[in-house]
Amino acid sequence: MPELRKDPIVGRWVVVNVENPTLPEEFHLPPFQWRGDKDCPFCYNNEAMTPPEIEAISEQERAPNTPGWKVRVVPNKFPALRIEGDLDKQGIGLYDFSNGIGAHEVIIENPEHYKGLDQLSLEDVGYVLKAYRSRSLDLRKDRRFKYILIFKNVGVQAGASLEHGHSQLIALPMVPKNVKEEVKGAKKYYEFRERCIFCDIIAYELEAGERIVCENDDFLAFCPLSSRFSFEVWIIPKEHLDDYGTIGDVKLSNLAQILKEVIGRLHKVLGDHPYNYIIHTSPVNTDSHFSYHWHFEIMPKLTRVAGFEWGSGFYVVFTPPELAAKYLREVKLEESNS
Amino acid sequence: MPQLRKDPILGRWVIISTERAKRPKDFPHIDTSPPERECPFCRGKEALTPGELYSIKDEQGNWRVRVVSSIKPFLEPNKKSWKKGKGPYDLMEGVGSHEVVIDTPEHIANMADLEVGNIREVFWAYCERIRALQEDMRIKYVLIFKNYGWDAGGGRVRHSRSQIIATPVNLKRVKEELEGAKFYYDYHERCVFCDLIRQELKEQERVVLEEDGFVALVPFAPRFPFEVWVLPKEHSPDFYKTSWEDLFSLASLLKKVLLKIKILLDDPSYNYIIHTAPFRRPYPGYWSTIEEDYHWHIEITPRLTQVAGFEWGTGFYICPTLPEEAAKFLREVEVRV
Repeated sequence: MPELRKDPIVGRWVVVNVENPTLPEEFHLPPFQWRGDKDCPFCYNNEAMTPPEIEAISEQERAPNTPGWKVRVVPNKFPALRIEGDLDKQGIGLYDFSNGIGAHEVIIENPEHYKGLDQLSLEDVGYVLKAYRSRSLDLRKDRRFKYILIFKNVGVQAGASLEHGHSQLIALPMVPKNVKEEVKGAKKYYEFRERCIFCDIIAYELEAGERIVCENDDFLAFCPLSSRFSFEVWIIPKEHLDDYGTIGDVKLSNLAQILKEVIGRLHKVLGDHPYNYIIHTSPVNTDSHFSYHWHFEIMPKLTRVAGFEWGSGFYVVFTPPELAAKYLREVKLEESNS
Repeated sequence: MPQLRKDPILGRWVIISTERAKRPKDFPHIDTSPPERECPFCRGKEALTPGELYSIKDEQGNWRVRVVSSIKPFLEPNKKSWKKGKGPYDLMEGVGSHEVVIDTPEHIANMADLEVGNIREVFWAYCERIRALQEDMRIKYVLIFKNYGWDAGGGRVRHSRSQIIATPVNLKRVKEELEGAKFYYDYHERCVFCDLIRQELKEQERVVLEEDGFVALVPFAPRFPFEVWVLPKEHSPDFYKTSWEDLFSLASLLKKVLLKIKILLDDPSYNYIIHTAPFRRPYPGYWSTIEEDYHWHIEITPRLTQVAGFEWGTGFYICPTLPEEAAKFLREVEVRV
């Protein structure tokens, strides 16, 4: 029998198919068809195929735009937004518009073409997370930017146009709608209860236990009770922190551990599957957002989102989060030496 | 230079990307759909579907449009409703209705290829079902939509049909639109959609088609390339109150728009969704100006691009086609019905 569940942060209802859940093998996901590393702009020795790098993490001495890097950040070759110029806000009748000012960067996660994030060493995942932090701190110096979104698309169905592991970053001149809603929802809750809603969710989930995927000293990974997608997983710091950019090195290595583990568990349970993840963190260069709590949202794309979801903001979840979490928790990961 | 545009109703920003500006031929059509299954929707296969809820028959007694319960319903009517809290979360029973409208007894995939009279009957069936569902006091909203083609969430059977979902809660996106319209009305004492139509008809830049009381236009800040909205020119909050005569004009216009999309973009998958006012019932959050502030419409979204992490994370969309250009392309496709 279906059950309706309401997201306590933004007030969105989802339908959860609690009685006839779809099991992992029933999603019938085809394995990824690799196109190969020939002419891949993200592989070693092809550095000239991307725009000149913005920054890179390397364990050795190297000249910019040459091999030897661990993580490389470059401007997107086809940027959705441009960095130079003024916003020049205008209105025509009902309508408001402005120039598309912003930054659009690509974080090449590793020189290895065929490795997913879960197949990298812990240290290498840590480098990726460090690059996220450093870009976030650098871009916020530009006062025009109000939000920095870091996200990752894997697989064609999730919007990835290149198969070599990479993340993207877009710096926006305004706080986007979804973030605004979450920030507002958290603030409202905080004003009434003087507690953070995300902290309350963490406490509730730790006590309930049934939606936990894994945890370590600093982080909890769980399937939210009001997930929008089957096998959706959030990773959230146990301590109340509103800004990803201020994460310290110890927490960062624990984050690398849990992110690698969660992606590995998802891969083990679902096989190759398209997914997106995003980091939701506080807006920058605006008021303080103390009541917010940053987190990763990992969204496997196992079903085709249809007109219904787009037009209504009402989602149908085919695998209840409790069952998804059980699969993810119980799957055996091979011991790796990393 | 890319542009940022704001939807005047929802306040949602979109990026109109000029760097990757895309014309109709730039969207490759890759058919990823699995092989077709035996069709349970054709004439003579009535026993393969669950109980019939409504039908329109011709003079010989053969059905032309049938409405049946979904085989895999998201929501079910015969339940006792309950509500409860769980930690910070709210839960309730999945009471409601999930129905399938079989648009035609013939095995035709795309609504664009149905006769205008047939499309009008489909619309009439929508209206009749909304009227029937209104009787159930637990229902707050009735959503009508169509998924055509695999990429739009259509099934493995290529037989034209639509879906109806009646929900016991207000849907987030619908609610935002209602609130946006109310906000505008509170200040201007005018309907935002009526103002929008007036401005569009004056500017003519984004209008695709205008005839017999209806207008099809590409919105100023669309989420998707070649997105088209169809609206009644006269103010009207409820879709289901459209007259039998007006439904013919609407069917004729919609068929033309769907044909234009089919020809221009090589038969792409698409969704459409009808946004109409919720039932006027005294429930928390209800307001009395809905009659004046809301305006029903159909949103048609071809599925040409993949929605990626950025869109999910922000609710901020990147549209790779300039709306004015999309409208021009659509306007120039010649169709006859």
